Amino acid sequence: MRPNIAVFLLFFSMSITVLAQSARQEKAITLPAGVSVDIASASVSPTGNLVAAICSDDMLRIWSAQSGELVRSLKANTGAHSAVQFSGDGRLLAVAYEIVAYEKGTIQVFDVDSWKLEDDLTSLPLYAVIFSPDSRRLSDAGDLGTEIWDLKAQKKVASMSPPFGGSAALAFSPDGRWVATADQDTFVRVYDASTGNLHSSLQGSLLEPAAVAFAAGGKSLVVGRVDKTVSIIDPDAGKVIRALPKQPGLIWSIDVAADGKRAVIGYNSAEGFSDIHHLTLWDLDKGTVLADFQKPGIIVTGGTFVGDHYLFLAASGNQLTLWSLP
Amino acid sequence: MLNRRDVLQKCIALGAVSIASQFSAEEMLAAFQESEKQPRKPTPPNTMGPFYKRLVPVNDVLRAPGDSGIPLNLSGQVFDTRGDIVPGAIIEIWQTNHKGYYDLEGYRYRGKVNVNKSGAYSFESVIPGHYPDKSRICQHIHYAVVSPGHKPLVTQLYFATDPVFDGDPAKNYSRDPLLQTPELIRPVILTGDPSEVHAKVRFELCLERL
Repeated sequence: MRPNIAVFLLFFSMSITVLAQSARQEKAITLPAGVSVDIASASVSPTGNLVAAICSDDMLRIWSAQSGELVRSLKANTGAHSAVQFSGDGRLLAVAYEIVAYEKGTIQVFDVDSWKLEDDLTSLPLYAVIFSPDSRRLSDAGDLGTEIWDLKAQKKVASMSPPFGGSAALAFSPDGRWVATADQDTFVRVYDASTGNLHSSLQGSLLEPAAVAFAAGGKSLVVGRVDKTVSIIDPDAGKVIRALPKQPGLIWSIDVAADGKRAVIGYNSAEGFSDIHHLTLWDLDKGTVLADFQKPGIIVTGGTFVGDHYLFLAASGNQLTLWSLP
Repeated sequence: MLNRRDVLQKCIALGAVSIASQFSAEEMLAAFQESEKQPRKPTPPNTMGPFYKRLVPVNDVLRAPGDSGIPLNLSGQVFDTRGDIVPGAIIEIWQTNHKGYYDLEGYRYRGKVNVNKSGAYSFESVIPGHYPDKSRICQHIHYAVVSPGHKPLVTQLYFATDPVFDGDPAKNYSRDPLLQTPELIRPVILTGDPSEVHAKVRFELCLERL
C-alpha cells in the first residue's frame, strides 16, 4: 500500500529535523571586539586544521581550528582583501587584494608552515580564487573575467572573459585539465586549463549561475543558479544531464565530496544576501537531500569536505563556529 | 529631436551662423562640430551583480499602470571617449521594484533599447527600493551597454536622494560597499505636483573604443 502524501511529508520533515540536529558544533573561535567576518570570504583548510577569514577591519586572520587561537593576522597593506583560499593539500594559502577597483588586483601565495611569501601575482581584481588539485596552478574570477596562473613559472597562462560581465565562480576539474566558470552573462563555460581555449559552453537558464563544481571524477559539472535550480551538466557536450529538485533559496555555493557523489549546496534567502543562509547535503546520484542545516541567527560563511564529513563555518554574534555535517 | 548638425544647418538658414570661407558650408560645419567635441571620461564600471536575466525584450516602459513607487523617467545619451555620439548602442537595464525585489520569474523592471541616431535613450520606470536585507547597498539600476567597436560597459546608476548618502553623496558614497566613486550617483529632479511626484534622472554614458 502506498503511504498517503501527509504521511510521506511527515516522515520527510522528521528525517530532515533529525539530520539537522545531528550537525555538530566542533569548535568556537571568538572574534576581536567590534570585528565581524565577511560572509563571502572565509576558508577552512582541507585538513580542517586552520580557518582563514577576511574580517571587517580589513585584517586577514588565521586561527587554529583545534585550539581557536589566532595563528597569524595579515594587514591589507597593498589594497583591500578580496578573497582567501587554501590549496587542496593545505600547504598554501592564496590571499587576493583589490588594488584599483575594476582595474588591478594582486594575489599573494603563502607557505602555510613558514608563512613565507611564495608568489606575488599582479592580477585582475577578483572575488574568487582557487588552486588546481595538484596546487601548481591558480585560477581567479571577478568582474572582468577569469585568469589561470602557473605558480612555478610565476606567469599567467590564460585570460578569459565573457562578451560582457565577468565570472562569479569557478572550479578546476579533479584532473586539473579543465576550468569551469559561472559567468555573469548566464553561460557556464569550460576552458582548457593549459591554454584557456574554450572547450564547451552552456546557457541552460535565463538567469545567472552563481556556483559551479565538478563531480563524478570530472565527468559531470554541478551548477547552481540564482533561479534556485541545480543542474548536472556534461562538461564535454555542454548539455544538461538532469536537475536536482528545486529548493526555496538562491544558490550561492556548491562543494562536492572527493567521492564525487555528495554535494553540499549553500542557499541564500530570496529576501536578500545576508538574511538566511543554510546548507543542504545532497546525494547527487539519487537526487535526494541527506541533511539540511538551518538555524536562526547563524550565517554560514564557508566550508569544505574533510574526509567523509563536511566542515562549515558559521558566524553568530562575535563568534565563528566550526560545525560538521554527518 | 534635431541632431547637432541639423541645428547648425538651421542656424545657417536663419542667419545665426554665416560662412565666410573659401570652403563649403558642409566642410566648415563638420570642422566646427569636430572642434566642439570634448574628450570624455569613460563611465566608471560597477559590478554586474547576480540578477541579470538574458533575452530581455525590447521595452522602454517598465512601469505598468497602477504600479507603486515614485515614477521615474530615466534618460541620457551615449558617447565615446572622443565625444562622438554612439548611435548603435544597445542598453539593457534591470532593477528591483520599489520594495527592493527583483523579478526572477518574468521581466518586470527589466528593459532594453537601441539608442537613436542622436545617441539618446530613455526609460519609464520607478525609483527602485533598497534590498530588504537591511544591507547598505543603495538604491540602484543596473546597466549593460554594448556597441560594435566599443568596450562593453557594465555599471550601475545610483540616486543622490538615497538616504544612505545623508544628502552628501560626494562625501558618503563609500557607505555603499560596492560604490567606488560618486560619479555614478546622479541628481534627481522632481516634477509633477504634490499629489503625484515624478522623478527625472539623466545618466550620460561614455564608452571606450576598442
